Amino acid sequence: MTTIFTCRDQFDDMMTCIYDAWASRLGHSNIRLKAEPIGNLELFCEYRHTESDPSKTASVIRTIHKKISHRAYIMVYRAAMSDQEDKLDAIYRFLILGFHYGASIMERLQDPAVMRLFELDRKVGNESHYFREFIRFSSLPHNVLISHIAPKSNVLTLVASHFADRMPSEHWMIIDDTRQLAIVHPADQDYYLTSLSEQDMITLSQTQDDPFVDLWKDFFEVIGIKERFNPRCQRNMLPLWYRRNMTEFMTFHN
Amino acid sequence: MTLTSHKLTINEKLHILADAAKYDVACTSSGSNRRGKKGSLGNTVASGICHSFASDGRCISLLKILLSNECIFDCKYCLNRCSNDRPRATFTPEEICTLVIEFYRRNYIEGLFLSSGVVKSPAYTMELMYQTLYLLRNHYHFNGYIHAKAIPGAPEDLITQTGFLADRMSVNLELPTYDGLRTLAPNKKPENLVKPIRLIQNGISRHRLAIGKDPRMERSESSRFLSNTIFQTNPYLEAQHEPENHLSVPPKNDSSVVPSSFVSSESNSAFVPAGQSTQMIIGATGESDLELLTVTQRLYQQYDLKRVFFSAYVPLNEDSALPSPDTAPPLLREHRLYQADWLLRFYGFHAEELLSRDRPNFNVLLDPKCDWALRHLELFPVEINRASYEELLRVPGIGTKSALRIVRARAHGNLTFQDLKKIRVVLKRAQYFITCAGKMLHRFPIEEDYITRQLTYESSDKNWEISHPETYRQLSLFDDFHIQGDVTVEDTSKVLSGQL
Repeated sequence: MTTIFTCRDQFDDMMTCIYDAWASRLGHSNIRLKAEPIGNLELFCEYRHTESDPSKTASVIRTIHKKISHRAYIMVYRAAMSDQEDKLDAIYRFLILGFHYGASIMERLQDPAVMRLFELDRKVGNESHYFREFIRFSSLPHNVLISHIAPKSNVLTLVASHFADRMPSEHWMIIDDTRQLAIVHPADQDYYLTSLSEQDMITLSQTQDDPFVDLWKDFFEVIGIKERFNPRCQRNMLPLWYRRNMTEFMTFHN
Repeated sequence: MTLTSHKLTINEKLHILADAAKYDVACTSSGSNRRGKKGSLGNTVASGICHSFASDGRCISLLKILLSNECIFDCKYCLNRCSNDRPRATFTPEEICTLVIEFYRRNYIEGLFLSSGVVKSPAYTMELMYQTLYLLRNHYHFNGYIHAKAIPGAPEDLITQTGFLADRMSVNLELPTYDGLRTLAPNKKPENLVKPIRLIQNGISRHRLAIGKDPRMERSESSRFLSNTIFQTNPYLEAQHEPENHLSVPPKNDSSVVPSSFVSSESNSAFVPAGQSTQMIIGATGESDLELLTVTQRLYQQYDLKRVFFSAYVPLNEDSALPSPDTAPPLLREHRLYQADWLLRFYGFHAEELLSRDRPNFNVLLDPKCDWALRHLELFPVEINRASYEELLRVPGIGTKSALRIVRARAHGNLTFQDLKKIRVVLKRAQYFITCAGKMLHRFPIEEDYITRQLTYESSDKNWEISHPETYRQLSLFDDFHIQGDVTVEDTSKVLSGQL
């Protein structure tokens, strides 16, 4: 019988889950790991929920650094931000091999477990890069900048340091509408991750008049060369689903 | 010129001056890496960041505007030539600064691309540009990317001072030959174009030496593993003072024109840290691809340019010296040139390998690397598990990233075709040129005709469609002819058939 270890979809919980699964001594082939929510329950499986434990989390992170490398840790972290169902199990399979081979595991792309983690990492990495490009802030009174995004992967912590470096003396906030999370950055201070209540979400979703929106939209229109009109190329470079929250593609009703 | 701008709003000015700047293609924000700092706005990222993509599919990275579209010159290809009757406008430096800061805060842009028509004189224009950048850097504390044009003919001091404020500077060559310049840009003197390029190059290398770096710009990571790139076997490195005569770009002046103080004048800012670039128009005059690519290679070697950009000629003006106004922009040719440019900069190819006097133009049907491989079948197939990085890079369908992954992974065991697919080798092209553990994917004959047919087969339907635009069609009960629409098949094929 297979035992399935589950935990909430957060990095700390996932690390604890890996610790518990490993420590259960049931044998790697007899267990699976899954992040919640669990959709369909499988027959002939035992489900075990694990709760986050800071010391276990720290232990796993330390071991990855010690036995593999910091690069592997970054890769695991990014893969954990993915929206794919098998991500937690993929991380576990990768770590089994990683603890055996050490740092050279990063190069063994011919191993399916390594390849899978590599793919997850690449996907999340690419998506967070896109959001670095396509996040749009709107300016509220008192010079507060607010951005709404609805990413597939949980990219907030991956894009935050980029904006913190570039706008250190601005108040800004990036809100993940689907996960109801936000990165908040007060001017000249460190940023932090916080979850938002329904009420917060409603207050923060109000739009403001901003003269630079029209300027930008006009610039965007005029900079395209008519003789080279090529919406297919545009869609390749900037897929439609990213455009949902982008100023230049939004039609305002004010 | 009497249509002055003080009555225009900032919206109207932006409309006019962005419209006038859109034909400039050198709009990347790459090459410079600078951390942000407290109290300032902005940083720069070496890879560059695109913030949007316009309706023509081109990246929008910088706020690309002209300072002014008034111009005393009369270049035939240019929209802003003085003999054209167009609305003219000029930004004030403050207006530009406000736009940059406010757009940047909203993450619309990565910085500023500032060019200009020649107002009154080159010196006056350059002065205005310098003032704008000075204000932006020192009063508005903007720390993001700035790309500034050097106006040919402007005083050297001004260009140098601007260089300390900008990340990248560029001088547009526009036309790669003397003759082209003479007929289409009568006011631009070729020596005036080369002088600022040389000035900036010398400035960059002196500054780099002063801060303990190699005088020449860094090149791609991957070329570290190559032995024979255009940057390493550079004839101009040794023969710096030989006179040149066989190409358009005239002999450079000696370096005495450079002001001696190249270790930053005031602040501790770098001098043009992202290097300089240039742009050439494709298809306005009759150069062959070979000429263009040779000039490109020379610009990289001799002037240490970071990038050379190509811009398909879009007919804007009617003139007997220009192609007719209904000429389609040679987009495919531009694309092939960019592909070749990449082969020069990242793959260790030389211009002479890709084209020759017998074949001065690129194959329309095949990309330059496939084309090269088909002419050198004696080098193939290549064994994936043993070939050197250099050999792998020359296989069609293998890029710099996948080659590196192959080299790393195969140290831990043989690779199969399945693995290659996952590593993102494009097997569709690569399969004819490689073996895994001694076997090809299928038993392909290594024959030029056969592989050419296979490689072009996929696009053959499309090619037929392009060369036979709608000769006959399925009858329809409903009148679907002549319906007003955006882009039709005919339009697409027109664009390409201009090529064929």
